[in-house]
Amino acid sequence: MEAQKEAQRIMTMSVWKLYHSRLQRGGLRLHRSLQLSLVMRSARELYLSAKLEEAEAGGEAPCTPEQSADPGQPPPEERAAPADCAAAPGATEPMETQESGGEPALAPASPGKRPARGVSLPGAGKGSRKRRSSSLDKPGAAEAGLAPSKKARLEEEAEGERQPQGQDGPFPSLAKVLQHQFAGRLRSGPAKGPDPPTPGCRPGDGAVLNILVRAVVAF
Amino acid sequence: VGCPLGEEAVDWCLYQLNGAAQFEVSEADIISTVEFNHTGELLATGDKGGRVVIFQREPESKNEPYSQGEYNVYSTFQSHEPEFDYLKSLEIEEKINKIKWLPQQNAAHSLLSTNDKTIKLWKITERDKRPEGYNLKDEEGKLKDLSTVTSLQVPVLKPMDLMVEVTPRRIFANGHTYHVNSISVNSDCETYMSADDLRINLWHLAITDRSFNIVDIKPANMEDLTEVITASEFHPHHCNLFVYSSSKGSLRLCDMRASALCDKHSKLFEEPEDPSNRSFFSEIISSVSDVKFSHSGRYMLTRDYLTVKVWDLNMETKPIETYQVHDYLRSKLCSLYENDCIFDKFECAWNGSDSVIMTGAYNNFFRMFDRNTKRDVTLEASRESSKPRAILKPRRVCVGGKRRKDDISVDSLDFTKKILHTAWHPTENIIAIAATNNLYIFQDKVNSEMH
Repeated sequence: MEAQKEAQRIMTMSVWKLYHSRLQRGGLRLHRSLQLSLVMRSARELYLSAKLEEAEAGGEAPCTPEQSADPGQPPPEERAAPADCAAAPGATEPMETQESGGEPALAPASPGKRPARGVSLPGAGKGSRKRRSSSLDKPGAAEAGLAPSKKARLEEEAEGERQPQGQDGPFPSLAKVLQHQFAGRLRSGPAKGPDPPTPGCRPGDGAVLNILVRAVVAF
Repeated sequence: VGCPLGEEAVDWCLYQLNGAAQFEVSEADIISTVEFNHTGELLATGDKGGRVVIFQREPESKNEPYSQGEYNVYSTFQSHEPEFDYLKSLEIEEKINKIKWLPQQNAAHSLLSTNDKTIKLWKITERDKRPEGYNLKDEEGKLKDLSTVTSLQVPVLKPMDLMVEVTPRRIFANGHTYHVNSISVNSDCETYMSADDLRINLWHLAITDRSFNIVDIKPANMEDLTEVITASEFHPHHCNLFVYSSSKGSLRLCDMRASALCDKHSKLFEEPEDPSNRSFFSEIISSVSDVKFSHSGRYMLTRDYLTVKVWDLNMETKPIETYQVHDYLRSKLCSLYENDCIFDKFECAWNGSDSVIMTGAYNNFFRMFDRNTKRDVTLEASRESSKPRAILKPRRVCVGGKRRKDDISVDSLDFTKKILHTAWHPTENIIAIAATNNLYIFQDKVNSEMH
């Protein structure tokens, strides 16, 4: 459980850093983006495997990732974690990870509850969301948080437009990417443990990397 | 720990300190690179504001024996300015990433300086004479009234106050899509290379409109990107050999005679990861931030986040020596990730005889490792602890257990005070340490007393 929380915290931190690295003078740095993505991937893998173990240990209905991901769901609403498979589809929050720090998208979803999209920060006064990592305590975090909220809404609209097309624009939102990423992972099965040495042998693994790097290369 | 190094027992003392007191620091003044020239007579520093400051060592003087070895400001110039790439909507920082001196071939000195995108060749010349006695112009250069000119005179060269002139002789632009992290001058003195995250280019010093790409690790599909180039250097003697390091902790030695494109390495130096040390941050901390050939050319020195390693060119499987710089940080990687310190890129340096290696750490500490005696020492570059001519006292970080007086605990370390850039004089025991905006020059006590 501790490992899971830690992994989640690290994931959140990484996304926040990725977002903010875009605003740095000198532009997005490839090496930094790569490192952040690698950490996020490690944390994500640990988180998912911890979740899976917990689900199995908890003696819940055998909840394989394949089962929990209802193929009938529209992509943006696929769940982030296999736990709570008893919960109704659509109960999980989509992963709006632009919001700085306070993203509880990966928290076990309260069954039946569907928090509004595009809203994130505890600072914004939404009581249903728990405070997450200490990065929120950073000076300026609240200030920084205002920007992501706005951005999330804009991207919400963009996302809404794009959904019918079913394809990402040249700069798909980070949230959408992560959703797809998690969906991909769930479909492909539980995390296997340490990375196989060969790079790129798991399709869909580098989705975030893909997006960031595409943003760099697109220029 | 804490013992003097080597049989000659080097005692370091502060020789000089340049830079404003800490509370006045502006970001532009932060030193971003330090480099001695090949004789050690000149020392160049670059800063975040795009400026280069060159110091020159005063020659030995019988009249003032104590001023020998003092590095005085020789020249200051603005090397790079901030630029804006309109096509990509990106600002290009003016921060000087690296300076490399060219071997001196005539009276002038030359150096290469680079920011993220553009490399420049600067020529530094001295002028200590000027012609006087022109026929048509007066002393200020104004045209004379011809009616006042009654006879012809031959202008003569008269001595004047030394003036150091710096001119940009070449600008090597548009060679890099990604951020340039290193440059290295070839031993042939005609070519040099520049490396960015994914590519390495070979330039001729006299040709600016084209360069040869010699390494390209950009994958066909950027989704498959797993590692980037972090540093590179030419071999000091073999003009066909160079090494580059990666973010995965590996080194690749390449031979330019083998093929035009050196994507395929001649040798791959890689140490298998210790599975017991695996964490979220294993990949980040294994990234090599600096690589330096020894003066002999037989060894390579690499720095990753927690260690420095010495590699023998003849052994690819693992380094021959590994030194822990600050292993006590291993349990704090998460906090260091949070405050971004885990991304800090420390440099490393050899001494002139390749017997001692040096690298920086936090809290304005820097570390030296004697390869022969296996002793190491931690010293501090700070105003408080360095009185001029007083011997630097070794510092110690205590990690629990017995705590001695003057020990500093891990939690009291100031992570904002980091020593990323250090340089060692090519032949003598003189070191230059950049601590934020301050440049410390330490000398061997014995060395300084002799003069």
